[in-house]
Amino acid sequence: MIVFLLISCSKDFLDKAPIVGITEENFYRTEQDAIAAVNAAYATLQFQLSPAGHFRWFWGDIMSDDAIKGGSGDNDVNDLLQLETFKGNANTDLLESEWGANYEGIYRANVVLEKVPPIVMNENLKARILGEAKFIRAWNFYNLVIMFGDVPLADRVLAPSEYNMPRTSASLVWDLIEKDLTEAAAVLWRRSEYPSADLGRITKGAAQALLVKTYLWREKWSEARMTAEAIIQSGEYNLVADYADIFPLYGENNIESIFEIQYMNASGGNWGKNNANEGTFTNVFTRARGQFAGYGFNIPTQDFVDEFFKEGFEDPRLKSTVFRVGDEMGDRGTFTIEATGGLPHLYYPKKYFSNKSEDATLGDPNPNGGSNDRVIRYADVLLMHAEASFFTGDETASRNSLNQVRARVSIPSVSASGPALLDAIYRERRIELGLEAHRFFDLVRTGRAAQVLGPLGFVSGVHELFPIPQSQIQATNGALSQNPGY
Amino acid sequence: MRLGLVFYLLIQSLWTSAQYNVSGRVTFRSDGQPAIGAIVQVKGTTTGTVTDYDGLFQITVPNGEATLTFTYIGYITVEMAVQGQTKLDIGLEENISQLEEVIVTGYGVQKRSSISGSVATVQAAEIAERPVLRVEQALQGRTAGVQIAQTSGSPGSGLTVRIRGVGTINNSDPLYIVDGIPVEGLDYLNPNDIESINVLKDAASAAIYGARGANGVVLISTKGGRRNQEGKISYDAYAGIQRPARLLDLLNAREYAVIQNEAHIAAGKTPPVEFANPDAMGRGTDWQEAIFQHAPISSHQLTLTGGAERSAYTLSGNYFSQDGIVGGDKANFQRITARLNGNHDLKKWFTLGNNLGFTWFERDALTENSQFNSPIIRALNMDPVTPIRKADGTYAYSNYADTDIANPVNAIEQTHNTWRSNRFVGSVYGDVRLTPALTFRSAYSLDITFALSRSFAPRFDLSALPGISEAPAAEKNLVNSVGVGNHTWRNAQWENYLTYQTSFSERHDLTLIAGTTALTNRYDANGGGNTNLPSNDPKDAYISNTIDPIASQSAWQWASESALLSWFGKANYELDEKYLFSATFRADGSSRFGRNNRYGYFPSFSAGWILSREGFWNSGIIDFAKLRASWGQNGNDRIGDYSFTTVVSSGQNYTFGPTEVITNGSVALNAANPDLKWETSTQTNFGLDMEGYGGRLGFTTDYFIKKTSDMLYAAPIPLVAGTAPPIQNIATAENSGLELALLYRNRDRAFKYALGGNITFIRSRVTGLGTGGEPVYSGYVQFANANASRTDVGHPLASFFGFVTDGIFQTQAEVEAAAFQNAGTAPGDIRFRDLDGNGIIDANDQTYIGNPTPDFTYGFNADLSWKGIELNLFFQGAEGNDIFNNTTRYDFGYVNRPSSVLNRWTGPGTSHSEPRVNLNDPNQNARISDRFVEDGSYLRLKTLQLAYNLPAAWLKKVQADKCKIYVTAQNLLTWTRYKGLDPEIGSVGGSLELGIDRGFYPQARTIMGGVSLTF
Repeated sequence: MIVFLLISCSKDFLDKAPIVGITEENFYRTEQDAIAAVNAAYATLQFQLSPAGHFRWFWGDIMSDDAIKGGSGDNDVNDLLQLETFKGNANTDLLESEWGANYEGIYRANVVLEKVPPIVMNENLKARILGEAKFIRAWNFYNLVIMFGDVPLADRVLAPSEYNMPRTSASLVWDLIEKDLTEAAAVLWRRSEYPSADLGRITKGAAQALLVKTYLWREKWSEARMTAEAIIQSGEYNLVADYADIFPLYGENNIESIFEIQYMNASGGNWGKNNANEGTFTNVFTRARGQFAGYGFNIPTQDFVDEFFKEGFEDPRLKSTVFRVGDEMGDRGTFTIEATGGLPHLYYPKKYFSNKSEDATLGDPNPNGGSNDRVIRYADVLLMHAEASFFTGDETASRNSLNQVRARVSIPSVSASGPALLDAIYRERRIELGLEAHRFFDLVRTGRAAQVLGPLGFVSGVHELFPIPQSQIQATNGALSQNPGY
Repeated sequence: MRLGLVFYLLIQSLWTSAQYNVSGRVTFRSDGQPAIGAIVQVKGTTTGTVTDYDGLFQITVPNGEATLTFTYIGYITVEMAVQGQTKLDIGLEENISQLEEVIVTGYGVQKRSSISGSVATVQAAEIAERPVLRVEQALQGRTAGVQIAQTSGSPGSGLTVRIRGVGTINNSDPLYIVDGIPVEGLDYLNPNDIESINVLKDAASAAIYGARGANGVVLISTKGGRRNQEGKISYDAYAGIQRPARLLDLLNAREYAVIQNEAHIAAGKTPPVEFANPDAMGRGTDWQEAIFQHAPISSHQLTLTGGAERSAYTLSGNYFSQDGIVGGDKANFQRITARLNGNHDLKKWFTLGNNLGFTWFERDALTENSQFNSPIIRALNMDPVTPIRKADGTYAYSNYADTDIANPVNAIEQTHNTWRSNRFVGSVYGDVRLTPALTFRSAYSLDITFALSRSFAPRFDLSALPGISEAPAAEKNLVNSVGVGNHTWRNAQWENYLTYQTSFSERHDLTLIAGTTALTNRYDANGGGNTNLPSNDPKDAYISNTIDPIASQSAWQWASESALLSWFGKANYELDEKYLFSATFRADGSSRFGRNNRYGYFPSFSAGWILSREGFWNSGIIDFAKLRASWGQNGNDRIGDYSFTTVVSSGQNYTFGPTEVITNGSVALNAANPDLKWETSTQTNFGLDMEGYGGRLGFTTDYFIKKTSDMLYAAPIPLVAGTAPPIQNIATAENSGLELALLYRNRDRAFKYALGGNITFIRSRVTGLGTGGEPVYSGYVQFANANASRTDVGHPLASFFGFVTDGIFQTQAEVEAAAFQNAGTAPGDIRFRDLDGNGIIDANDQTYIGNPTPDFTYGFNADLSWKGIELNLFFQGAEGNDIFNNTTRYDFGYVNRPSSVLNRWTGPGTSHSEPRVNLNDPNQNARISDRFVEDGSYLRLKTLQLAYNLPAAWLKKVQADKCKIYVTAQNLLTWTRYKGLDPEIGSVGGSLELGIDRGFYPQARTIMGGVSLTF
């Protein structure tokens, strides 16, 4: 009898759903769920350890002629040394982490694009959320395509049977980026339309600015110019009066900021793969070692510093870009070789320097850097506008935008034309956007990489692209092909 | 029934007419005392008598050719031909055979001689002989096939228990059943309360536990009273001192400075000026001496037991306290246990029983076995130049230490971590005798734990100039914080089963068992924290003790549950006490399994043949021989409560707004698997049991093959999926092994002795990781920033995997002749072998460089006694395992080193094993390689005990029955080639974290004195 009693209740007895936490089946029902879904996609923007480091400045600065790896010695992230000297191979967790982090962002954006449309909610908000998701998907594909070229086009949440997806040609990937950004720009809110509590969300301007970059890569000059002008004429953005005010903590999300990845120092987060940590590792990684308690990465080169003196005077932006021996490193003391642990570096990067007083008060300060990552600034848009205008033949508009950037730091206007004007624009990008992770990709995009980086080992036709991570070729049973030269 | 026979024989003897009288005295040979109530019988007749209070008997025999038999329970029956004598004095010898021993099997008991599976047993008497701190230690080295190692030497820490090796890459812990109650962990159990431990090793024995039996089952019975027994009061106590058994030989300050100077110059750096004159630096600080200490240990136990005709009980209480040899009272463990076991015949047909245990314990814990920040890793790596304290008496920090390595003495002082647990484990059962053969048992049990965790991180700053606060991050904590957690585990079980036991035609013995179990587990936890408390006193460390309780307060909550519903049946059949057959079947439904696989079915069969009872057996030396064979299937249901489902994880946050508000984001982080089920293990066992020399010699051997299939493994998927892979039942593994146990004992003289030994050979390897399954890497080693262990098809679990060293480059020519290693490679660096011969040392030049699993483990003991003096020696060891020595942080240039670095390479021919020193290690000499893999074999004198039993004559004056005083030494001697603190390293952090020494908290060498007093 007892046995029958047990059988009769067994179905319920064994049905145990998670008590805390929600399953995918009963989520995505409310406006709050939609917001939480897109926020999870935002979280991937902050990824820096997935689980190996894959900082934007690894690729943009260290790979270029502006900086070298640094660290405690050659063995400190040796794979990066191999990559920056163009000897790296496909078997590195740095690239695997970059690859994985981008696809994690794409997956989360795809979840939003699939799960949010059926939710009954404010349509204006829903459109914005879908726009944010499209931007995040585009941003991740952008990172993938500029680094790896052809990549698997995961434009939906993949079923297990689709995991061995082969690579799609870069032009189709660019098409999706362009389409996503165009659609996102159409529905996203302007910066001024967002309530203050939403500061940090993707704006119409951000989608347009990334679209300008996309057009430049594709050499769609007139589209680039038009889109840049839409940003300029929107009245949403302007240059910050003092260049030195851009990078301190108080300069976050300023009038010049178009796309900025948000970080904070008070989340109490810790080391670990992309964990719930709102802080950045950039601060500690790029700070000098020794008494400055950093890891000493992204060391500016002499060549980079020399660039600031080429007009016969010291460009005023140098002192906001680089620490030189004898400089005060904020409240952490004076920069001497001894104070940095005796490492033989004469320069340290300054833009993401953080003061001791800005250290996290909660938990380990190292994973809790507070500096936002300034990805796209208005100055960048002006310089992109200058470049696009130059290629559409409007040198006046080109010079005008270029000189706006120069006027901000009170240096003489450029009056050059022709190739000299283009060179001036390129040079202005190196200085204005120095150590902001643009340089390597600017060199590749503008076809100057072999000429500039050749002495460092760059081989044309090979090093424009990074190798596809070997682990991923193996994991797909070879469905992914390798880039030429690796 | 025995009593009936005695009366029957008495009456018989009165009726028989006397032809010839034989009289005499029966005594126990061991002590010469009279055997009261021994049965004396004329062989082949029903004529018999019993001995009186003086052991005297008188019996009439039919003629001078008659033979008399003398029988006494627990003693060997003596047959004696009268041969015309009228007086016979008989000395009885104790029957030391284990064949009649009663073994607890799942849902019943069996005589050892009737068992056809593989079961190992440890009895209370063996535990009492050698005091152990934890129950698992009672099994270590005593039972073949059961491998046990400490997970740490710190008080209250657990042990790794592996029955027949590691059969899965997942949870390998056995199922513990205490008095029928499934329990998690044995830390609550007091070893003195244990009556017996039975380990069900083969699948056939464990199959009655179905989906939970794959890792073996440990059945523990606690002491109950015996019926018709005079009351006993026992007091057992011991107290002792623990000391570290071994300290490592590290550099002193002078040597350290020499090495540092050299390492700086090699790296092109200027040596620190303060190291200019090493000879002036002296010995410096010995950080090991600074953290290791002598620590007390003590235990007091009071046991009251008694039994009447219709009831019996045991009541016990115990207090145990142990400090740590590192941290002292900061690593204290205290435990109070209370137990009341009883059983009562309420009716002729009904017995009520209970086993109720309560445990309170409190454990203060330091960070352990961490390569980052444990006191031990810090003591082994902190430079000897830094003093413990500054001139003003406050703790000093190192000017050289990097992240992680901080002043360990200060760190211990700043640690306030307490775990306090109140646990009730109890069951109540009723036995209904429906017919003489059929019994029904219903048992309800509860296991409830209420635990509290508290931690407090005080404010401190070791800076010399507090205003500037120049100390490194690990040497100060400017904001104090408190954390608290409340945990409740509640496991309830209701079991109902019928037992039918009968014999018929004097040839057939049959036992049938059938029943059901319903089990629910629930875990609830909540907690919170606060920071910036105004008081820095640990006594004030409560969340609400702050001026502004809300601002920095945090809270969290968690809950989970699972349920198991089962049906089981078992049949034992014995023909002529020679042929043994057993079959079991269990069906388990579990909430942990996916919807598509809710029930698992687990069958088993076993058979035994007692050869020695066949007519052909020539009973010479071997009196008893039994062949056994079994086959069965079990499951492993420790797969997590909700692994089949996908949970949308919150906490995927981002910051918005000018005030940087952390805003929640949620997404499913892995893919679901509704097909998820248990891991299946199929095991075949062959065994042989023998006894000889009248039970003095015992021998048991088993050979088994265990195949695990449906092993849970999240095979990596391409990262393009954007999610973590789903967990699937795809991997397979195979274990095989041989177990041998041998015992010889002799108790029939004043000098008694027992010599025993056992040995276990186990081979385990992974046989499949599913399609696309990549090797599983584990065992992260920070100094190499890489994993040291790899689990792959065809190899033992968690084998060490890395580069192979090939001596030291003596000259630049040798560097150039060898495969390219690194741009900075120079003479004095390690030459690594270019395994793929491509001229470059890269990831492809790694191979298997060690196996953390022993080839065999063994234990042996010698128990000697003479006139109340007892000497027990117990050795235990492991052979053929490797240990990855991860105790020096080679990733830091300034850490201290083992003094073997003094033999470093300094020029051609100076060393062929110890590389040059260089602050930057440009050749990556510290990459994962066989340089760090050491032979972890050891043999340990685990226990040495000398005891004296006070003479009975003295004790009678104070109404005492027994008084034993003893001295015990634990871990007195260890023979090993391993260079770390302790070669006995358990598995910390999962089945694939094997044999990596991350600054293991070593076991103490303990000297204790004790007394055991019974009234």
